[in-house]
Amino acid sequence: MKKLLAMVLTLCMVFSLCAIGPAASADAQELTLWTYPIGKWGDSATVEAMMADFEAATGIKVTVEYLDYTNGDDQVNTALEGGAAPDLIMEGPERLVANWGVKGYMVDLADLWDDADKAEVNASCVSACFNGDGACYEYPVCMTAHCMAVNYDRFVAAGADQYLDLENHTWTTDGFINAVKALYAAKNDTVAAVFCGGQGGDQGTRALINNLYGGTFTDAEHTKYTANSAENVKALELLQGLDGINFDASIVGGDEINLFRQGILDMAFCWNIAQQLNTDNNDAELTNDGEKIVFMSFPAEGDAKLCGGIWGFGIFDNGDEAKIAAAKEFVKYFCDGEGTVPAVKASTYFAVRGNAGDGIDLTGVWADNAIMNEYTKLMPLLGDYYQVAPKWAEARTAWWNMLQRVGAGGNVADEVAAFDAEVNG
Amino acid sequence: MGASAPRLTSRKLVMRETVSGYLFLLPSLVFFLVFVIYPMFMCIYTSFFDSNMGKNTTDVFIGLANYKELFQDQIFLGALKNTLIIVVVSVPTVCAFSLWVATAIYDMKPALTSAFRCIFYLPVVTGSVAVTVVWKWMYNNYYGIFNYVGKSMGFIEKNINWLGDAKYALWCIILILFTTSVGQPIVLYVSALGNVDQTLVEAAEVDGANRRQVFWKIKWPQIMPTTLYILIITTINSFQCFALIQLLTSGGPNHSTDTIMYYIYYTAFKLYRYGYGNAMGVVLMIIIAILSAIQFRMGQEK
Repeated sequence: MKKLLAMVLTLCMVFSLCAIGPAASADAQELTLWTYPIGKWGDSATVEAMMADFEAATGIKVTVEYLDYTNGDDQVNTALEGGAAPDLIMEGPERLVANWGVKGYMVDLADLWDDADKAEVNASCVSACFNGDGACYEYPVCMTAHCMAVNYDRFVAAGADQYLDLENHTWTTDGFINAVKALYAAKNDTVAAVFCGGQGGDQGTRALINNLYGGTFTDAEHTKYTANSAENVKALELLQGLDGINFDASIVGGDEINLFRQGILDMAFCWNIAQQLNTDNNDAELTNDGEKIVFMSFPAEGDAKLCGGIWGFGIFDNGDEAKIAAAKEFVKYFCDGEGTVPAVKASTYFAVRGNAGDGIDLTGVWADNAIMNEYTKLMPLLGDYYQVAPKWAEARTAWWNMLQRVGAGGNVADEVAAFDAEVNG
Repeated sequence: MGASAPRLTSRKLVMRETVSGYLFLLPSLVFFLVFVIYPMFMCIYTSFFDSNMGKNTTDVFIGLANYKELFQDQIFLGALKNTLIIVVVSVPTVCAFSLWVATAIYDMKPALTSAFRCIFYLPVVTGSVAVTVVWKWMYNNYYGIFNYVGKSMGFIEKNINWLGDAKYALWCIILILFTTSVGQPIVLYVSALGNVDQTLVEAAEVDGANRRQVFWKIKWPQIMPTTLYILIITTINSFQCFALIQLLTSGGPNHSTDTIMYYIYYTAFKLYRYGYGNAMGVVLMIIIAILSAIQFRMGQEK
């Protein structure tokens, strides 16, 4: 009897080890969503409430897993290689289109778009969500324009507020140069940091350098990197020689924001509406010490072109047509249907379209929020979404490495040429 | 007949014990095969392929092309150099410092010895992320304690960007690695010194040996197996330095803190070049194996 029991237990253990086989066909009415922390899409209470509403409306249950930007990509890649990808994922085109889409893991969502959708959705978003072959790997729900911020009280104290157009939140390149000089004269210490310790927040340094003299980062077709231009070289030479600007290889965007909030820096190049609304250490629009924060577009000689952040949903092709159909229903519900308003609100960004579904007006989503309303002034400055160019991962790394070399005193023209050779070679 | 029956029973018993022994080993063997041998084999195998991430991509056999590329890749060669600097500096200093501390504390009162062991072991059991955050704060360019103390004491005139300056960054990493590496060797040395045969020590002292002679002639040979173990684990840990780089510098500034482990991670998980990353892994494995073999040999000769 004892032997029999031991045998049965052993067999159970052996079979449990071998239990890694083709999973039983799962219920199409159950989906898995993995989401990066896009505003409150990283907050389980907010997301669970939206998923409950979705289940009530459609009968489809959604299980959510929350990713972070440090390990999220590795988690997704591991799942993809192991054949355990989720049904849905929420992020931006640089991952969904330019990475997983190009590699063949995503479902083409072109059939979710009709002409009215294409006309309704912001043109940059449409362009970013489709690849060159006409396949769509992301259906966008929200967007924002990344900008910079200044410590207004410090500007006033240094007499530099005269260079800010507070009505439109814009300023000129000359205004920026004069402001840095005035602030540096007032404190004799670092005014702003061109952070280059890693890729975190690098859209800020790209936008700063591209805007100063009208340079670009890629060509319009997103096939070639164009950082090696006279405009960008001139901008980098300006920053390299400007007292008060520190090329800092020990910090990334997040660190820069902290230093700005702590009052150590007078400007932050890594900023967006989520930062403007942040109340972790003080009221919104105030530094930790209570100084006033004003968001600004990047300084430019003409109209600034701001880097965009676009977020939406993609569907992984797990080979189950029923699940893909259910996932498409999910996408339409949250991007162009009943769930769009809460989805946009949860993101703390702006809707990519004016109307959703059958006449749901999205233009007034933030009518109750003065800061968001003010921030909408920057949205027309949203520039080309070029983060879908090939070799994007290499280009990001090459960019901050190039900034480090420039910061260490390297010849700007040579270093930008080296960047160009690395990413276009 | 009468003699063969017990012989049979005895053979059966031996067989049963052997089978039992192997069955006890089986779980560990399964884990070893699945998580060490199989990945090792796959690593070597994949290193001969152009293997990239992609649903519709197929691995293409390219022979030794990945290895050829490695030795023309300036970033890899820089990472190899940095890794060797870390090993060459870290291993002897960790061993020497641990031995020095252990000799100083092992014959103190038990409570005091335990207290010191705890203090030195604390960085080992503290999570590497927490340790890194604290060090990052201390190295901070704007408000770090090193700059504050350095300026207050007049050692430096203006703030030094410890992690952002290629002159200092690697040494900063080595310092953190040192503090997180000495805990275990100290505990091992304290234990090894406590196990030294006291009769031999007393005999040597009776014969007129001084403290230095007692240490090098009596104690040192007896703690040699511990030293060998410490040398090997410290070497392997130094070669595998990754978390500090990932959390503090991302290999910068200007690749001055790239290590092979970090470059493997970057190549495999950021650029998705699995074959190339695995080729680096194989090279790292060979280097560690050679160094460990040399250390074993030296330890045996002693």
